[in-house]
Amino acid sequence: MDRRPDAEEKPRAKRVKTSNVDPKDNPYLAHRYEEPAKKFQRYATTAAMAKEAEDGPNNFLTGQPLSSQYFRILETRRNLPVHAQRDEFLDIFHRSQIMVFVGETGSGKTTQIPQFVLFDDLPHIHRKTVACTQPRRVAAMSVAQRVADEMDVKLGDEVGYSIRFEDVTSQKTVLKYMTDGMLLREAMNDPDMNRYSCIILDEAHERTLATDILMGLLKEVAVRRRDLKIIIMSATLDAQKFQKYFNDAPLLAVPGRTHPVEIFYTPEPERDYVEAALRTVLQIHAAEPEGDILLFLTGEEEIEDAARKISLEADEMVREADAGPLKVYPLYGTLPPNQQQRIFEPAPPPHRPGGRPGRKCIIATNIAETSLTIDGIVYVVDPGFSKQKVYNPRIRVESLLVSAISKASAQQRAGRAGRTRPGKCFRLYTEAAFKKELIPQTYPEILRSNLASTVLELKKLGIDDLVHFDLMDPPAPETLMRALEELNFLACLDDDGNLTHLGRLASEFPLDPALAVMLISSPEFFCSNEILSLTALLSVPQIFVRPATARKRADDMKARFAHPDGDHLTMLNVYHAFKGPQAQANPKQWCHEHYLSLRALQSADNVRIQLKRIMEREELVLLSTPFEDKKYYENIRRALVSGFFMQVAKKNQTGKSYTTVKDNQEVLLHPSTVLGQDSEWVLYNEFVLTTKNYIRTVTAVRPEWLLVRPIQRSHFSRRSDMLIASLQDIADTYYDINTFPKGDIRSALERTMEKIRRKKQMKGGR
Amino acid sequence: MDGDADDYMSMVITDPVEKREKETYTQRRIRKQREAEIKGRTKSKAELRAEEAAAREAALSKSLDASNKGFRMMKKMGFQEGNALGKGTNGIGRTEPLNIVVKEDRGGVGLDSEKKRKFREEVELEAKRAKAEEGDYRERVRKEREERRTEGLVLGAQRVAEKLDTEAGEAEGHSHTPTTAVDDLARPSARPPRKVRPTRQINVLWRGLVRHREEMERERRIRYDLHQSLSRLPTYDDPTEDDDDKRALGNDGALEEDVEEEDPELDEFNALEAAERLGALVSYLREKYHYCFWCKYRYPDGSMDGCPGVTEEDHD
Repeated sequence: MDRRPDAEEKPRAKRVKTSNVDPKDNPYLAHRYEEPAKKFQRYATTAAMAKEAEDGPNNFLTGQPLSSQYFRILETRRNLPVHAQRDEFLDIFHRSQIMVFVGETGSGKTTQIPQFVLFDDLPHIHRKTVACTQPRRVAAMSVAQRVADEMDVKLGDEVGYSIRFEDVTSQKTVLKYMTDGMLLREAMNDPDMNRYSCIILDEAHERTLATDILMGLLKEVAVRRRDLKIIIMSATLDAQKFQKYFNDAPLLAVPGRTHPVEIFYTPEPERDYVEAALRTVLQIHAAEPEGDILLFLTGEEEIEDAARKISLEADEMVREADAGPLKVYPLYGTLPPNQQQRIFEPAPPPHRPGGRPGRKCIIATNIAETSLTIDGIVYVVDPGFSKQKVYNPRIRVESLLVSAISKASAQQRAGRAGRTRPGKCFRLYTEAAFKKELIPQTYPEILRSNLASTVLELKKLGIDDLVHFDLMDPPAPETLMRALEELNFLACLDDDGNLTHLGRLASEFPLDPALAVMLISSPEFFCSNEILSLTALLSVPQIFVRPATARKRADDMKARFAHPDGDHLTMLNVYHAFKGPQAQANPKQWCHEHYLSLRALQSADNVRIQLKRIMEREELVLLSTPFEDKKYYENIRRALVSGFFMQVAKKNQTGKSYTTVKDNQEVLLHPSTVLGQDSEWVLYNEFVLTTKNYIRTVTAVRPEWLLVRPIQRSHFSRRSDMLIASLQDIADTYYDINTFPKGDIRSALERTMEKIRRKKQMKGGR
Repeated sequence: MDGDADDYMSMVITDPVEKREKETYTQRRIRKQREAEIKGRTKSKAELRAEEAAAREAALSKSLDASNKGFRMMKKMGFQEGNALGKGTNGIGRTEPLNIVVKEDRGGVGLDSEKKRKFREEVELEAKRAKAEEGDYRERVRKEREERRTEGLVLGAQRVAEKLDTEAGEAEGHSHTPTTAVDDLARPSARPPRKVRPTRQINVLWRGLVRHREEMERERRIRYDLHQSLSRLPTYDDPTEDDDDKRALGNDGALEEDVEEEDPELDEFNALEAAERLGALVSYLREKYHYCFWCKYRYPDGSMDGCPGVTEEDHD
């Protein structure tokens, strides 16, 4: 039973075995139940008091005796840079509502500051919770685990985490690590964030979309809720911007424990940064003293390729020049966690005793820039690029593009070399380029994102005046314009910008509005079960695995699931096969054989369960067209149109290319598609911009479906009926032929319209 | 006024009619075919990419306007066109979305601008040079034209000199006729020994003319031989052919040797300015034959009565 302590006088005795005897009455055990928190006065504690409480012998939160592991960890914790400034921190925390805390990576701020707060804010006594947001799911999970260990509690009890589709918290939870997106979703149902006494926004310097929105919200909430404390934590020293934004909030900076890093530039700009990076790594290995190397590249493919090449070259160096062993580890977001963990393995030993020392070389994306701390790195190779999300409302493309990093990023990267001892950073660009070409700060995500989802969330949060919402870096007006327009076409907002019934419903789902609308309207097409699966599949990483060494084999396996009408249906086939008895007998084996990602499929399964719960709560009917019905797949395709009608392309009269409807962008089908070239109209999930324009995950649709929506008999719930009414004219507005410029697409639509009209007349005449 | 209107009307109508009539059936068929070809041709990757990029750029440079539904919704929230969003706590927000730049190669940071800088420098340098030369341009063109004209005159004077020299030689009974390929072919077996290096004996003033003619002839013959058979290639060495055969086939290369011979005297003469060469020729003709190149007249005696002077200007 999860019971919160009713009052501070009543300590909890969770592991009582002899239920009859109240151990409190036992004088020999009295010290165990002494409540240390009793002496504590909220917002009036000191570092010394906290130290005493931490020294035990009982757990400050649970009252349980502390383990030996706890004391071991405690020692290392007290060596962290933040520890020395606990009093200073508490002082500022006591006298201000909002504070800015700056601590470089490795200062211990993410794990320690929330604990400092716990010992002072005493949420377990006041029945509140302390929240600490993280930009990344993995960070939220791993930090929560670490802090649970540090506090000697079970993860999910007093310390827990909450990320999209996964909530590891309980009634007892007083410290909750969560993604910033998750806190934002929570706020939608609790705009004053009443369950929290303190909210810590960690890694604020990363300026994720959700963090920026949260800052805007918290600024307003802080006025309404004077008791709410807010800490903005940043790893970089540009914190003045945060201070200024929060009405000159006080700032506390804790120096990181770093060694000097010598920076080298190239004399001339590089012709090929990857080639230059490989050369530099091998030179370091050949000529520099012991120490590990960290190389920053942009993406999975580039990293794997570089890892292969460096390994080959290093082997040759070992053979021919008696170099020490070099072990190469790739590191990127989509790498399975167990392989990500391998980067912490120690460097390989020399080939023979007394031989030249071995070293490891980690080739990473910018996840190694701030979020991950790897000890032992002495050399950093920085080509100056990373893959960054870009969005432009004019062509409605949201894509990852390789772009030059910012000065701040470059500094951060260099800093990674000085964690253990003085290091070196090799920048593969000239000093002049560093000064002139690199922007000072990376553009915050809000400037690089489609805001449709965010606008829906803000509307749900009750923010009506989006134009004057106080953001730290407001996006271009056109970005908001496009988001409002999209939501209007999706019937989530009415013409005045007010949330519709459908919009309110869509906001309940932690999904993109298009996906949410598709899911909500799927009962109308008798395929909500299938669309639910598909939505889950579209919300997780790529389910198909295509290793460089077995591309052909992987493609053959994928072809087995292929549906001629497109990738969505193919994914659905995979999912159904995965849920079949044959696959479920040994899912790991089955996925391996079929070149599928077990992790992705399992998380899709999990997402499906979560979404299903929301559907049931919102009384959306789950139904399927019988598989034997020849309309089985057609219904699914039509349901896809109900959400993605704004992502449609028509084949050009010549060649293989397509043109996107409305934006008139020339695109090609992504090579991964199973769809043949003969589909006149296709619906796509993504518009990817690389050196070519691609549309990815495509399914063939018929133009009639774009123009006319079926009128369904109403045999679902009353609620759905209302929806249908509001959905009825969506496509009509978007595909209003008069709004199309003269051209191929317009005339094709006109022909289709004529055909529909004729058909109707024939029916009418009969 | 009525007439004017009529004229105007008729002009507009008849014009296209005439055009249509002009196109014959074949022409139309060809035109149609060509149009279809252009339309039906699968575009190259580069073309596609260029088109793609062009469409992207076009769309990226066009901002969303009042026709956008979102604009009207924002207007209702108090948005004014041209303004930024937000409250301006941290300065004025942006009014333009971030641009999208697609990186197409693996060039390092700063490479593009370095290239651009170099290119700009070159262009600037070029511009500077062009500016400096702009004044000289007319002068240069004029000079070049002059040069070409003088060369023509040299050629003419050479021809005259050749003719007069030949005539003079014949008159002396001492044939000065230069060896020509035609002679060679006509009398293959009767080659006089003086013909081994005949051009050396020709007056350097017009030796170039003969030499040029011989070179042309040689080329013509090589082409001719090539036409005959592969074995006639001057470089082709047929072991079954004896010297006579070779000579009979015009394959012995004597002439080539002759033509290819170095001739420092001639080179030296040719290195002179065209005007100087012309001057030399003109005075040669005057002195030897009392011929004025400008009067185109051979005077009977050295006084050359009636000739206004030595130069062309004198004859204007």
